Amino acid sequence: MKDPVQPPRWARWLLSRLHPDNTLEEVTGDLDELYRYRYKRSGKTRATLHYLLNVVSVVPPFVRRRNTDKQYYQQPDYRATFSLKSTMIQNYLKIAFRSLKRQKVSTSINIIGLAIGLATCILIMLYIQDELSYDRYHEKADRIFRVGLMARLDGEDVGGPMLGPNAARDLQQEIPEILKATRILKGGEFVSNGTSSFKEDNLLYTDSTFCEVFTIPFLKGDPKRALTEPNAVVLTEETARKYFGNQDPVGKVLLFSREKIPHRITGVVRNVPTNAHFRFDMLVSSPDDDEQHIGWMYRINYYTYVVLPEKYNYKKLEAKVAQLAERQIGAELQEFLHLSPKQFREKGNDFGIFLQPLTKIHLYSTFGGNELTPGGNILYVYVIIAIAAFMLLIACVNFMNLSTATAVRRSREIGVRKVLGSVKRQLQQQFLIESVLLAVAALIVALLIVCLSLPYFNQLTGKTLTLSLLTNAFVATGLIVGTVLVGLLAGSYPAFYLSSFEPVVVLKGRITAGRGSFNLRSGLVAFQFFITISMIIATVTADRQLRYMQAQKIGFNREQVLIIHDTQMLHNNETLFRDKIVQSPLVITGSISGQVPIGNSALDNTPVMSRENPDKAVMSRFYKVDDEYIPTLGMHMIEGRNFSKNLSTDSSAVILNETAVRALGWQQNPIGKELIGHIDDNGVKTYYRVIGVVSDFHFESLRQKIGPLVMFLGGNSGNILVKTRPGELPQLLASLKEQWESFSPAAPFSYSFLDDRFKQVYLGEQKIEQVLTLFSGLTIFIACLGLFGLATYTAEQRTKEIGVRKVLGASVGSVVALLSQDFLKPIVIALVLASPVAWWGMDQWLKEFAYKVTIDWWFFALAGLLAIGIALLTVSYQSIKAALTNPIKSLRNE
Amino acid sequence: MRRTYLGEFEEIILLMVAILNGEGYGVTISEALEEHTGRIVTFGTVHNTLIRLEEKGFVTSELGGSTAERGGRRKRLFQITALGNRALQEIQQLRQNLWLLLPPDMLQPGNA
Repeated sequence: MKDPVQPPRWARWLLSRLHPDNTLEEVTGDLDELYRYRYKRSGKTRATLHYLLNVVSVVPPFVRRRNTDKQYYQQPDYRATFSLKSTMIQNYLKIAFRSLKRQKVSTSINIIGLAIGLATCILIMLYIQDELSYDRYHEKADRIFRVGLMARLDGEDVGGPMLGPNAARDLQQEIPEILKATRILKGGEFVSNGTSSFKEDNLLYTDSTFCEVFTIPFLKGDPKRALTEPNAVVLTEETARKYFGNQDPVGKVLLFSREKIPHRITGVVRNVPTNAHFRFDMLVSSPDDDEQHIGWMYRINYYTYVVLPEKYNYKKLEAKVAQLAERQIGAELQEFLHLSPKQFREKGNDFGIFLQPLTKIHLYSTFGGNELTPGGNILYVYVIIAIAAFMLLIACVNFMNLSTATAVRRSREIGVRKVLGSVKRQLQQQFLIESVLLAVAALIVALLIVCLSLPYFNQLTGKTLTLSLLTNAFVATGLIVGTVLVGLLAGSYPAFYLSSFEPVVVLKGRITAGRGSFNLRSGLVAFQFFITISMIIATVTADRQLRYMQAQKIGFNREQVLIIHDTQMLHNNETLFRDKIVQSPLVITGSISGQVPIGNSALDNTPVMSRENPDKAVMSRFYKVDDEYIPTLGMHMIEGRNFSKNLSTDSSAVILNETAVRALGWQQNPIGKELIGHIDDNGVKTYYRVIGVVSDFHFESLRQKIGPLVMFLGGNSGNILVKTRPGELPQLLASLKEQWESFSPAAPFSYSFLDDRFKQVYLGEQKIEQVLTLFSGLTIFIACLGLFGLATYTAEQRTKEIGVRKVLGASVGSVVALLSQDFLKPIVIALVLASPVAWWGMDQWLKEFAYKVTIDWWFFALAGLLAIGIALLTVSYQSIKAALTNPIKSLRNE
Repeated sequence: MRRTYLGEFEEIILLMVAILNGEGYGVTISEALEEHTGRIVTFGTVHNTLIRLEEKGFVTSELGGSTAERGGRRKRLFQITALGNRALQEIQQLRQNLWLLLPPDMLQPGNA
């Protein structure tokens, strides 16, 4: 007989599953009764509804649990043994501290290992966070896009992030979706406040819309009107302090360039954050162009940015902009090259535009030197994340290994505890609490390491990272939770494995891990050494390459050469100044030239042709020098002679480098041959006669191959290169400065040394080497810790075996050898695996260099020997200790 | 002895247990509550309050008296303890004293 008045069955099932067992009977009964009561009063629907509500109110977390034990109420001090109660926790902590203190060495090794792994991870996290945060501080960051030019000419990509000056105006006028368009033009200028002048390299010419597109916090002045009038300047805080100290600069005037054009200061803004793809010390309102005929493809110097409406798909806009660009650029091609876009494309050329999201410029843009500031690389970010993940993984594995190894040592303690009535769960809790404690200690040490090493890390990466990210609640919780998880994971093996043994077995100290787990461990060792050996090989290769580059014969003498900058600011007095300098007894020669043969010059290659073969153009670099240039830099003349001041015919003479001679096909006797150096618009050719050949020298960095070079005698001001005698350099500099100032130029006296400049070119490589050395050091260290843990573990495992061997007459040496050889196998495997991988990786890296070392076999041998040596050293401590133990001690339990 | 705090709802439930005099259990208490005060509360509230009162020592309980109506399941019947009794009386006394202190005109109708 079925009662018709019944609450829904599933609800009752839910109740029976979720409600505490000890009150289930009475509550189910009560609810049934209440259901009937309500059913009679207000009908089925309401009764059911009410029933459901009631069920919800008596399931966790709402329900209050009735304590089963009646005595509980009378004796509040009584606690049940089998749950995590505070006295028990206290006891666990006490035991944990005692046992950690007893094994000081392994405890500290374990903590340091994990701490280093964590610290590396935290540092890398800070670095990556900074890399990813570029340009995100702009309020409209996700709606700002940069318009770039895609162009291919004669098979070469000549596009870049810049466009001609008219693009921004046309975009805003023709495409209604574009809310604002603005341009940035990079500049450099000599700026004076009347008394002292400075060279400002970080100067941007911007439109009045600049502050509407980008978020620029103004301290003084009105952002809307600051850049509207011509010749207005906005300074950053720092620049304002440089020129005016603590005075209010707004309304004051700065004088620009040697013409001393007055610019009025209309505002002061906060310093630009370091995580921005453009930085500036000054903003100057763009000069009004006579914008009639300039267009998109001429004077491609303007970085053009547009703002889109919110949530607008920029790909849709890209198509529209492409149409507009097709029209505008197409018209210009027609005008300048007399080619329609179609004809242009048929010749294998191409053009177009693309949009770059603002926040991706830093990491994804690939225009290198054309960017406003050197960008990052998303690939490096991935590589570095991988390194961090590996480090953390290895550190965690080691932590686990070492924890297990030390736990095995405590088998007797476990046995005694079990005999005295300890339950499995208590032992598990004991081990888990210990390893969590260790992990937390490691986290604290890691944070300490991060605090201490952050300045060095900043130096290495050239960033200004702070710890502020770590105070973010989300990150902090993540760190703590992560650490506790690592602790739990590391503790889980000893906790669950050791506590499950029979007390008799553990008391006898006969815990042996299965063969399988040993293989897993050796696999991990092999993996760690795989990474270690790869890192060692990479470091060695980078070091060789760097040494090779610095020791390369660069073809000129960079010692004792002083470069005085911006000498064009002396106007006609430049030569006078040079002549005065040369009179000093400390100076050997002085040469006026704009070209310094170091680093990437902004010069383009220009075609030259030989007289005999005027159709074959050789793209070469032009240097305009004076007669002192070659002696000052100590270049070597192979054939012919240097320029001479006294021969008027030398104005149409050239000196070539060897590569140029080869390229022009004049292997035999090039002196006296003629080349076409210039063709004007009417097709009139200017011929130059070769008077000398200079031996090849590296005029850029060693990353590039030496190209053809043609030297002309010509006025080319910009720098004075001074070859000095070793001696009283500070005095010389002081007298130079005095002489410089006697001409009262608009530029300050500034100088550099050629060999410093040379070193700077290789700063990037130097950093890579430093980073590699650091990381390989760290990985070696961490891998050694892993090995140490494993050695401890195996030595512990084989105590009895060693004892028996010794009783039977084995020597200490043979026992050490026995224990060590186990570890050689994974390392040899690692070497075999790592060598090709490292070779491939370094080969890729070396491809960037035109002049490079070959990767020799001994790199691998060295890395292998180093790894094996370090490993043996690590293992030997444990194995010698085990071998020296008196067999009585290890065998007395049998 | 420190006076144990008794909340308003707890006090009413305790009174119900006293009124029902040994016949009080989840259902009767809920029904009485609805009948006398008009409050409809979820069963969980009553259930939790009863457990709390028992922990504080104001009531005791015992399982018994199964009926067919509830599928033969037993009820938990509640009985007020001496401590509970005293607590109720103390509250009552306190209220009485406070009422006597009230100025006479405050009791006039219309005086909010």
